[in-house]
Amino acid sequence: MAELTSPIAGKILEVNVSVGQTVTEDDELFIIEAMKMENPVYGDAGTVKEIKVKVGDQVEEGDVLAIIE
Amino acid sequence: MGSRGYSLHPYFKKMPDIGKELTRVNKKNEEEIKNVEAEVAKEVERVKNFGKATDKMNEKGEWDAWQRIEYLVDPGTWCPLHTIFDPADNEEGQTGVIDGLGRINGRWAVIIASNNKVMAGAWLSGQAENILRVTDMAKMLHLPLVWILNCSGVKLMEQEAVYANRRGGGTTFFRHAELQKLGIPIIVGIWGTNPAGGGYHAISPTILLAHKDSNMAVGGGGIVGGMNPKGYFDEEAAEQLIEATRKYKAVPPGRVEIHYNGTGFMRSVFDTEAELLDEIKRYMKILPAYDPEFFRVAEPAEPKFPIDDLYSIVPFNQKRTYSMTEVLARLFDNSEHLEFRPDYGPEMYCGLAKIDGFLCGFIANNQGLLGADYPKYADYQGIGGKLYREGLIKMNEFVTLCGRDRIPIIWIQDTTGIDVGDLAELAELLGLGQSLIYSIEQSEIPMISIVLRKGSAAAHYILGGPQANNNNVFTLGTATTEIYVMHGETAAAASYSRRLVKDKDAGKPLDSTIAKMNEMVQQYFDKSRPIFCAKKGLVDEIVNMNMLRKYCQAFVGAYYQNPKSICAIHQMITPRIIKG
Repeated sequence: MAELTSPIAGKILEVNVSVGQTVTEDDELFIIEAMKMENPVYGDAGTVKEIKVKVGDQVEEGDVLAIIE
Repeated sequence: MGSRGYSLHPYFKKMPDIGKELTRVNKKNEEEIKNVEAEVAKEVERVKNFGKATDKMNEKGEWDAWQRIEYLVDPGTWCPLHTIFDPADNEEGQTGVIDGLGRINGRWAVIIASNNKVMAGAWLSGQAENILRVTDMAKMLHLPLVWILNCSGVKLMEQEAVYANRRGGGTTFFRHAELQKLGIPIIVGIWGTNPAGGGYHAISPTILLAHKDSNMAVGGGGIVGGMNPKGYFDEEAAEQLIEATRKYKAVPPGRVEIHYNGTGFMRSVFDTEAELLDEIKRYMKILPAYDPEFFRVAEPAEPKFPIDDLYSIVPFNQKRTYSMTEVLARLFDNSEHLEFRPDYGPEMYCGLAKIDGFLCGFIANNQGLLGADYPKYADYQGIGGKLYREGLIKMNEFVTLCGRDRIPIIWIQDTTGIDVGDLAELAELLGLGQSLIYSIEQSEIPMISIVLRKGSAAAHYILGGPQANNNNVFTLGTATTEIYVMHGETAAAASYSRRLVKDKDAGKPLDSTIAKMNEMVQQYFDKSRPIFCAKKGLVDEIVNMNMLRKYCQAFVGAYYQNPKSICAIHQMITPRIIKG
């Protein structure tokens, strides 16, 4: 089980995954708005077990965004 | 028996891979980019169709400038520049010359043609600036300049804008002299009537080849004279002029019988359009030029990944980050490279790649997040597109090394500027930025820049921008280019924040100031679009995403045809420093 954490402080602009979805390393799982840019967040390949954030949430660097198995 | 190969093959035959296959085509993004490319194409068509109708010209046996270029240039090699350049907003919508890089009979040349569809190729406003950019290209690339001349001289209604001035119509002739002083030949094919300014265009090149119906002269033959000038015109003067004009038969001076049979200025004369263009081709073949094999480090190869992937990789949404690595993988031969200091200055990519088997340096703005501990001098995180201390130092090193090794450089910009604030000042970024300018100037190597998306603030200058007049051969834009000193919202905030405070403190409504701010935001937007940038010359051409590699190939091929100075491949230090 791996925690996908936010690489930066910012606002969740997009949540592009759902629980149960199988994802690859190349999938843009979230888009975080930070430093005036929209930054995609990638994770390890696996199945999404839990999503911890929703669109509009403010996150800090290191906050858990999702759990991927 | 024996074995042929390339120098330093352990370094260059197979380089580390870059990039990976595209996982998802972004159709919406592709459509947005192609919509802008279609608008640019419409502007190009407008320029091409302006003026005399081509079919009417052809009926009289005359070709237009585009037809002449098409016949002259090796198929598939033409890279037009300045197509919609029109800095003075002429009623003709152009500067009246057509130019670019192309191969003629297998040799690269800088090519420029008078647009004989428009006022018989007259000097229009902005044309001098256009021509000087072209002569600069020939000078920096040390490449032959080929003129397809058909120039009626000054557009008399606008003489004050074209005739005089330090960078006016006459400057070209000094530049032609300068090119020759530097050992660069100029070949001119002469068509039509070329009086005065046209005459000097004709006489200032090295080899003059003429069409049988052409002429070139100090002055034109079409001016009716002999009346007493009053300082103005009235009915009486008009009637005198009408009578004189009816009797007048203009015989243009400087015809072939004068300048071929008489003076010998024209070296050769030809009866048809094709014959004259064929002679230019013949001359190109007899000019000195290195065979490409001389400087290649490997066999040419196409990138592993299709160039059309760029329509999905480069976001039309300027706020969306992307992987510059994937862009580069679509430009480099076999998608291979030797990256310089990948673990230092992560905001910048610096590396060596092969383009058609030739070595070329690339410098590009990496995009996206740079990691928690960067920049080291600050407690905030860095982001790609911005420049920080290590990236500036790395670029200085790389440019200096490429200069030593005589490796040309292609810059790919997508930048929001250099980091600001006291921490950035203490990190010496102001000095390091100017140091990069000095490194570029000192290198004495030709470069091109591609403003892939944003070109802003001083970063646009120092990243090999068009302001590097002695190094930057040309600058390309794309459908996603935007060039401005800063973003419109930032500019509006900077310009109006104090006024907002004043209005608020005085109890006044904020509406009118807010309206002015939004007007400024819109103005910044309108004056930074790709078509605006090309018209004003902020870039030299807007090219389709899938043409970017073609222009890289033209630039690199042209550079290695007649380099002014060379470094033996096995004496280069840059690849050794990369490998360690």
